[in-house]
Amino acid sequence: MAIPAALTEDQIYHRCPLDKLNFETTATLEELELPFGQERLLRAMEFGASMEANGFNLFVLGPSGAGKHELVRQFLDKHASGQPVPSDWCHVFNFQQSDKPNAIELPPGEGRMFKRDMSDLAAELKTAIPATFESEEYQARIQELQEEVTRRQQKGLFAIQEEANANNIAMITTPAGFTFAPMRNGEVIEPEEYKTFSDDEKALVEAKVEDLQKKLQQAIQQVPRLRKEVRERIHSLNEEMVQLTLGGPIGELREKWSHLPEVVAYLDAVREDVVEHAEAFQDSENGAPAGLLNRYRVNLLVDNSETQGAPVVYEDLPNHQHLTGQIEHRAHQGNLYTDFTLIRAGSLHRANGGFLILDARRILTQPMAWESLKRILFSNEIRIESLERLYGLATTVSQQPEPIPLKVKVVLVGDRTLYYLLAHYDPDFLDLFKVEADFEDDLDRDGESYQLYARMLATMAKSVKARPMDKPAVGRLIEHASRLAGDQKKLTAHDRVLKDLLSEANHWAARADSKHIGIGHIQQAIDEREFRASRIRERSLEQIYRGVVMIATDGEQAGQVNGLSVLQIGATRFGQPTRITATARPGKGQVVDIEREAKLGGPIHSKAVMILSRFLAGRYAPMGDLSLSASLAFEQSYGGVEGDSASVAETCVLLSAITGVPLKQSLAVTGSMNQHGEVQAVGGVNEKIEGFFNVCKKNGGVNGHGVLLPASNVEHLMLNEEVRTAVREGVFAIYPMTHIDQAIELMTGMAPGSPDDEGGYPEGSFNRRVADRLAEYAKVGQKKEDAQDNDSGGKNGDR
Amino acid sequence: MTAEQQLPVEPVGRVLILLDGSRLSLAALEAAADIAHARKAEVLGVFVEEVNLLRSAGYGFTREVGRNSGVARPMDLAAIEARMRSLAEQARRSLERAMAQRGLAQALTLCRGRVADEVLNLARPGDLLVLGRVGWSGSPGSRLGSTARVLVSQALGDVLLWADPPMRSRNRIVVLLNHDQGANHRAVRVGAELARRNRQPLTILVRTETGRDERIAEDLLAYMESEGITARVSFLPMASAGAVARVIREEGASQLVLSRQCSLFREQGADTLLIEMNLPVTVTP
Repeated sequence: MAIPAALTEDQIYHRCPLDKLNFETTATLEELELPFGQERLLRAMEFGASMEANGFNLFVLGPSGAGKHELVRQFLDKHASGQPVPSDWCHVFNFQQSDKPNAIELPPGEGRMFKRDMSDLAAELKTAIPATFESEEYQARIQELQEEVTRRQQKGLFAIQEEANANNIAMITTPAGFTFAPMRNGEVIEPEEYKTFSDDEKALVEAKVEDLQKKLQQAIQQVPRLRKEVRERIHSLNEEMVQLTLGGPIGELREKWSHLPEVVAYLDAVREDVVEHAEAFQDSENGAPAGLLNRYRVNLLVDNSETQGAPVVYEDLPNHQHLTGQIEHRAHQGNLYTDFTLIRAGSLHRANGGFLILDARRILTQPMAWESLKRILFSNEIRIESLERLYGLATTVSQQPEPIPLKVKVVLVGDRTLYYLLAHYDPDFLDLFKVEADFEDDLDRDGESYQLYARMLATMAKSVKARPMDKPAVGRLIEHASRLAGDQKKLTAHDRVLKDLLSEANHWAARADSKHIGIGHIQQAIDEREFRASRIRERSLEQIYRGVVMIATDGEQAGQVNGLSVLQIGATRFGQPTRITATARPGKGQVVDIEREAKLGGPIHSKAVMILSRFLAGRYAPMGDLSLSASLAFEQSYGGVEGDSASVAETCVLLSAITGVPLKQSLAVTGSMNQHGEVQAVGGVNEKIEGFFNVCKKNGGVNGHGVLLPASNVEHLMLNEEVRTAVREGVFAIYPMTHIDQAIELMTGMAPGSPDDEGGYPEGSFNRRVADRLAEYAKVGQKKEDAQDNDSGGKNGDR
Repeated sequence: MTAEQQLPVEPVGRVLILLDGSRLSLAALEAAADIAHARKAEVLGVFVEEVNLLRSAGYGFTREVGRNSGVARPMDLAAIEARMRSLAEQARRSLERAMAQRGLAQALTLCRGRVADEVLNLARPGDLLVLGRVGWSGSPGSRLGSTARVLVSQALGDVLLWADPPMRSRNRIVVLLNHDQGANHRAVRVGAELARRNRQPLTILVRTETGRDERIAEDLLAYMESEGITARVSFLPMASAGAVARVIREEGASQLVLSRQCSLFREQGADTLLIEMNLPVTVTP
């Protein structure tokens, strides 16, 4: 197998062809309304937003900082603008059940009008009805009624008094009532004198007195009935007067609102209620009680008079109350009270007929909010319930507004983990959020995309109020976007990083008094970002340079190789070499992964070590036992080790330990390997190469150093300027490998050798040395076993 | 005729307040106390034990029929007397309390007999007699008691029939006069005093058969101006008591003053007017 040629500068960096960019500065570029390269997402959103059926709500998933919220908002604003404006909703007093306010739907804009009409009516009631009661007509009629009752009341008493007088009996008033006694000349006869009357006379008088008393009793007992009758007549008079007063204004309103039967029914109920409470309006001093007039107010819950198209509402604090609305209370003299005018709309009310955008993580962190949202979406109506009621903590009488029918499209925005967790653990989730709109992390980089990507960058620059960029600056940014995507054929779609970079470049341009953002400003922004995040990387490099962490970058050494690893701290990633060592001695086919034994290795790493162990057995001892006891360790690694990207390096170092053939320390290796020795792609190659490059540079300069990496990783290379210069000058080499044998040859300088038909390797080849050495191990092992067998056999024989 | 000549100053008499323990008599007591305080007048409370009532309680067979319930209960002289004593005591306490608050001297006269007769015996021409329009002895729904009727027509001095004052929006003192009446001055003076004391404007209504008489109007207004009272004078034709009542109501009267010499009394319309006007009314001789 031939040694692969080192990669050229063009292979390790995909330059942006500036001839593909048809502009001088981004100022001349047309803005992109919707991002390109997100067809899947846009089609999903278009479908979700237009789909009428229940449960087709959207979940827009993608990494954080990808600009999901902005995109969703932008898309929905455009989509909603062509849709009809939804109805207004208001709550009005329920005259049948005062704690259950009614909901009335009105065409958009009419809610405000209705509210004003009812407020005017209440104001009119306040003055017109007392005026009616003060009118001469009313006063006269009331007086007539009162006089009639007085007359009727007195008539009975007068009749009795006259009958008494005619019979010489006085009707005398007492503090508590009346009494009868015989009289003469208008004066009551002295009781002593009465005793002198004859028995007949006495009997006559007493009989008459008794008769009069009975009549008086009857007359008095008629009084309550009489009063009740008068009360009723006064009430009907009041009703009549109020009806007449209300006839005009309510009639006008009925006509005006005749197109809405619900409003007409409400107006009729108001009229009946006013008539019923006519007496309360009589106090012209203080007017009708405020509580009574409040009943005729309209609580305009949703006012769409100024809404254009369907509403798009974003609820930034999606707790239960903000979503479903709430019933507020007013404190009055230490007591809390509420009525239908204190019902407040939630974002679901405001978004009704349109779209509600919610952040998935936020709604899930609010108590009961998620459950409430699901309940409402299932029932398709908004029922306002206080949180304390839901928890059963409050049992006080409160308002229970009539539920409002809901037709809303909820758009949840969140990261992928949340989506998959919800889909897995919440059985309702997929019933309610049937449309998955998945954000692309990276965009294809091809001939078509350059101009579009440049327009996207121009749009971003405008949105962050940055200067226009010139063509080379855009080119550099496109190249950096590939580096961020970690792929020569991709561009990152990560909105936040690009915008931040643009803002920073704009800052440097401003400092330099430049009208445009130039390539230098972009580079400065990239470098400054890297520098700000470089403290830990620098410390790590220093440790290597000072020899605290031992990394050899020169010479040759058996059983020792430079592996490459990537460290991620916060948002920054950097690579650094790690010394991997191996030992080998005869044994029973065992490769000890020290990291795993020390519980510092992860399962993928363990798997990789098992693969290499089987590779060894399969390749070098296909027909016999692999008599090997080997160990592998990441030196000076005190954290965990995970991943299989070191398996090529581990194989090389193990084979070196077996054969004693030294490995070049000027090369570092990364790559994963399968059981057949084929090299497979790994992640973070750019960081790894740059990390090793930096170490070499620091350890006496780069000269003949290099990195071996899987050939399938070549298209992920977007290396920095320094590495590219070293490659151009031939002082640093990057070798793509497809098979472990290529790594062996590069690291040892020996030909690996291919097996002949019988599986033997050619004399002098590296693989032959491995096979021979393993055969020696096997012999040694066999001798030991035989000696042990003899030992145990002799002992057995002695027995 | 000048205002000075027409309206001579009269000596301050006593304020006689007729107490019977009824609600309205207690309200009248407060009004009487205010007047006495303003006039710095002596107050005499009068409590009369009605002799007819005491006599009727002496019969074994008489029953008291409850005014509201209509239930008949036996009458007992001792019980009635005890009740009268208790009412008298209550009257005395009320009188003492009302006058003590204002620092006025007071006395209570207890007598037994016919109420109207006893009061007429006690009253002197310069005295102001204050009583509720109806007492407990008034028949149900009545707006003018029998005692009030007798005293209005027979008392030698002024009589104030107290009633619950009307609503606050009615705030004028109204004096009703006759064009050809000789004793107008007394009513005008009482009206002026009320207006001053209550800080209310005054309306003088003059009943006339000859139309507006500017001279009288000017005299009256000049007098009122000299007293510092806002006043207006209206002339009205000699209409029925009902029509007069309507005009008074339209004026927004809070209190009414009229002279017994007013032709309404001759026309027997005074009772109707007094019944219709449910507000405090002062009748001057």
